[in-house]
Amino acid sequence: MSRIGVFICHCGENISRTVDVERVAAEIGRHPGVAFSTDYKYMCSDPGQTLLKKAIQEQRLTHVVVAACSPRMHEKTFRKAVEVAGLNPFLCEMANIREHCSWVHEDREEATVKAIDIVGMMVERVKKNRVLAAITVPVTKRSLVIGGGIAGIQAALDIADCGHEVILVEREPSIGGHMAQLSETFPTLDCSQCIMTPKMVDVANHPKIKLYTYSEIELVEGYIGNFQVTIKKKARSVDEDKCTGCGVCMTKCPQKKIPNRFDQNIGMRSAIYVPFPQAVPNTPVIDRDNCTWFKSGKCGVCQKVCGPGAVDFEQQDRLVVEAVGAIVVATGFDLYSINEKPKGSAIKGYGEFGHGKIPDVIDGMTFERLASASGPTGGKILRPSDGKEPKQIVFIQCVGSRAREKGISYCSKVCCMYTAKHTMLYHHKVHDGQAYVFFMDARTPGKSYDEFWRRSIEEEEAVYIRGMVSRLYQKGDKIVVMGSDIAVGVQVEIEADMVVLATAIQPQKGADTLAQKLGISYDKYNFYSEAHAKLRPVECATAGIYLAGACQGPKDIPETVSQASAAAAKVMTLFSKDKLEREPVVARVREAGCVGCFACKKVCAYGAVEEKEIRDRQGNLVKIVAYVNPGVCAGCGTCQATCPSKCVELDGYTDEQIVAMIEAL
Amino acid sequence: MKKKKMIISQETMDIDFVRKVEALADTSVRRCFQCGKCSAGCPMATFMEHPPNRVVRLLQLGQWRRVLEGRSIWYCASCETCSTRCPNKVHLASIMDALRKLSWDAHGPSKEGYVQLANKLFLQNIRTYGRQYEMRLAAVFNVKSGQFLKDLMLGPKLIAKGKLKMFHSKNKNLPEIEKIFTRIAEIRAKGEAL
Amino acid sequence: MNKKLNYSYYPGCSLHASASEYDLSTRELFKTLNIGLTEVPDWFCCGATPAHNVDELLSLSLCAKNLELADKVEGDLAVACAACFSRLKFTQHTLEENMTKRKQVEKAIDAPLKLDGKVKHLLDILARDLGLERLAAAVKKPLSGLKVACYYGCLLTRPPDVPNLDCAEAPTIMEQVVEAAGAETVAWTHRLECCGANFTLSRPGVVIQLTNAILESAKDAGADCIMVGCPLCHGNLDIRQKEIEGVYKADYNLPVFYLTQLVGLSVGLGADKLGLDAMIVNPLPLLKEKGLL
Repeated sequence: MSRIGVFICHCGENISRTVDVERVAAEIGRHPGVAFSTDYKYMCSDPGQTLLKKAIQEQRLTHVVVAACSPRMHEKTFRKAVEVAGLNPFLCEMANIREHCSWVHEDREEATVKAIDIVGMMVERVKKNRVLAAITVPVTKRSLVIGGGIAGIQAALDIADCGHEVILVEREPSIGGHMAQLSETFPTLDCSQCIMTPKMVDVANHPKIKLYTYSEIELVEGYIGNFQVTIKKKARSVDEDKCTGCGVCMTKCPQKKIPNRFDQNIGMRSAIYVPFPQAVPNTPVIDRDNCTWFKSGKCGVCQKVCGPGAVDFEQQDRLVVEAVGAIVVATGFDLYSINEKPKGSAIKGYGEFGHGKIPDVIDGMTFERLASASGPTGGKILRPSDGKEPKQIVFIQCVGSRAREKGISYCSKVCCMYTAKHTMLYHHKVHDGQAYVFFMDARTPGKSYDEFWRRSIEEEEAVYIRGMVSRLYQKGDKIVVMGSDIAVGVQVEIEADMVVLATAIQPQKGADTLAQKLGISYDKYNFYSEAHAKLRPVECATAGIYLAGACQGPKDIPETVSQASAAAAKVMTLFSKDKLEREPVVARVREAGCVGCFACKKVCAYGAVEEKEIRDRQGNLVKIVAYVNPGVCAGCGTCQATCPSKCVELDGYTDEQIVAMIEAL
Repeated sequence: MKKKKMIISQETMDIDFVRKVEALADTSVRRCFQCGKCSAGCPMATFMEHPPNRVVRLLQLGQWRRVLEGRSIWYCASCETCSTRCPNKVHLASIMDALRKLSWDAHGPSKEGYVQLANKLFLQNIRTYGRQYEMRLAAVFNVKSGQFLKDLMLGPKLIAKGKLKMFHSKNKNLPEIEKIFTRIAEIRAKGEAL
Repeated sequence: MNKKLNYSYYPGCSLHASASEYDLSTRELFKTLNIGLTEVPDWFCCGATPAHNVDELLSLSLCAKNLELADKVEGDLAVACAACFSRLKFTQHTLEENMTKRKQVEKAIDAPLKLDGKVKHLLDILARDLGLERLAAAVKKPLSGLKVACYYGCLLTRPPDVPNLDCAEAPTIMEQVVEAAGAETVAWTHRLECCGANFTLSRPGVVIQLTNAILESAKDAGADCIMVGCPLCHGNLDIRQKEIEGVYKADYNLPVFYLTQLVGLSVGLGADKLGLDAMIVNPLPLLKEKGLL
């Protein structure tokens, strides 16, 4: 005979405002099998939990139902409390009377009746719960970090400094990411290269970090603590072990007029190249699409001049498999491209700004390269069209961002600050020039951020104009900016020498494909989703995978670094134990009834279903049945719904329990 | 110029009027976040006392009287530049249409007379003749607006070039046009349309 | 052999009055290109800007009735005037999207609506239905050396989801058509700016200011002439050009052609069949200088 305890939470006023909690407690007290019921203002608080524990002991309770918020929020809390009081934690269930009831209803009477129904159902379910023991799985204490920008670098260094091995995979020939492209950084104006390159060197020299550049993730298998990752090392055409990084190949390469993507295509590079002089590793790569040898079979100069004989035209892509226990995803962002998009694309462009047609209309990242001391102009602000110094420069904010008509309704978060920085850099470099900024709102929350923005206006003399720009057009060697100042209520026209567009931040191209390989979720823009917006911001819903940086949403450097360290801390928490305990809410196969159709295997999204041979005592094969690997099973229940012979059941969600719940209504 | 202080309360914000505008224009007024891009590109903004973004702002505050009393809505050329470039897909050109209609329903509180007169004569011509005859339209406009000599020099030149027809044939669909006018009046009288 | 193209034709009020040369040149050009054109009998005014300006329901109803009349004539509906084109397309778009308005209009015209007939501007017919290759093949006197500024104005391309003729910010269809006729086109800044349209009657001062900017931009770009597809734009650019030159002390002397006049010229039509004598800014000296007449 079960003695069930039911605990009704007020959740402050969140539940009690619409649900008569005392009445719920009284009525559920009369439900068959319920030995005790009560209500309390905050069940999750320390006194609330104490009340629960005391009742279990004093009332000799066998099962517990906590009627409160969503189990996503506090199921762990209450199961722990129940365990402390001496009960098996899986004999505790939560009835959600907040999200499913009080928050979505207005009528108190009806909400109360519904709450009683919800709690009654959970009482019937918990009656049939089984005692479960946590599943333990071994943990491989190595981690994979995907993406070698500042987020990936920070996470990799933190984990490696703790003594755990890290595999760092970067798609480009060098690590560094977007931060390596920046000139100076807000709000302190320290040079990006100066603070970035030492960290890049640390990565290269760290004995615990294994670096794969010019490489991509091909396949991810396994589960938390036990992932197998296949990495594709693209053919670099240069042997990394032999190359000394002397750079003779690059100076001798006859193909020198290839636009360098690292310099936003305003600088040029050779066909065998490193994207920038401080690249890590300092090993060149051959761009086979532009190399004369690969196009026509002639040339081969780089191979002839290479002393150590590192140039290898025959090199092939190759696959490497690495075993890791945790994965940090740090794939970063891409810039919104301003121009017209193909018809049918969800994201639209800005034809009215003439970007791509008017040479001196550039994006913010191109301005960074112009302002960078290691950039194509050596840090001088010069127009791409004629190399002249612009004396009137216009910045336009929110290009792509906050524009639902263009398909992106979010704020890109960093543009207000980097535009303020741009006006300062411009003022420092062009003393007789004037910067104008068209903006809607200045969004500058952050330590010393608003002060920085104000400084750009008050000390660096940038003129901010509240209003947007309708159109840009070339008139002679000027760009006419048709804007408006909504504070004054007039149209504004500026004949500018150069225009810089603060373009939106988007996730990296292919972010969705990578997410599908990893089995993690992403939003409609392809930003990766965290498990909980507030309380689990660096974890994915998929166990063992963590997020760092702008792949999760627009972020600046300080925030990215914080999140990267947080993700590293989560990985180290996982690695602090040799074995990992997992929720035992997994599917089990009733082998006697299983006919081996493997419908369950086809539908399992986690690859948890395996084939198991049943043999008699003589070792003869009797049949092959399905087996659910408890280490991999995520407890989603798809197999249970699919099985034609009703032989797979998920603990806590068996057919018997579901029927009992329905009958309680 | 003296400007009246805006007293804001639930009573002074006429949200019903705004809902009418939104229904007629099939767009949202609340979506606008006042970026001013409409005003930046409006070819007529320099002729308006309230630039386009401010027309929307006043609607957001339910202050339609300030909008309708002014000339702004009558200076909109319906060029659709604002609707084309609005980052929030606020269809401002349609909002302007809706405001002009509601202004007429409110018996035209605007000081702007010429544009309204031209519109009135244009619609009368459709009802009477089925088609526009520019000569008649221009002549009647000049008489009614008291600008007898306006564009006097253009007239003879255009007649000589055959551009202003003096005579016209009767349109067989005139009764059908008349029916459209009367049916619309009936629909509105029954409250089935704004 | 390609099937003969046939269209119903909605000229619009202006083409029967101030823009008679647009009507004439359209009919002659289509005849030469062997494209059938049947005028919708007893079509009436679409309501143009004044109707939707103050009474959208009236505007939609007038257009819907005209679309119904056009349905009785074989072929897609060919429209010459950019304003009529815009209103007819707006009517189709609005009534497809907004069921409330659709019901109101059905009551106003006392008939169920059918919106599947295609409405096409002449540019669409020349560039896409006939096709640039066939158009170029029909050219007998290429407009060599003639530098044309193609003026789109507002209603041919805006707003982007309604006329669907070409890209709203960087259209090329006019340039493609006149280049197929052998002309050169100039890149200029004001081809999409508004000329003030129907303010020509009520507020000519506004029109003079806006149109001047357009003429100035075309002149600066080195154009010999302007090409339009809208009688309202034409009225402002051509009829008011002398007056504008007076006000702004400028010397533009830019003939303003309808697209059918220029294309007509290239397929060998004479001045009399194109109504060149109806143009206020005399195009004959320019055409003679370029050896096109």
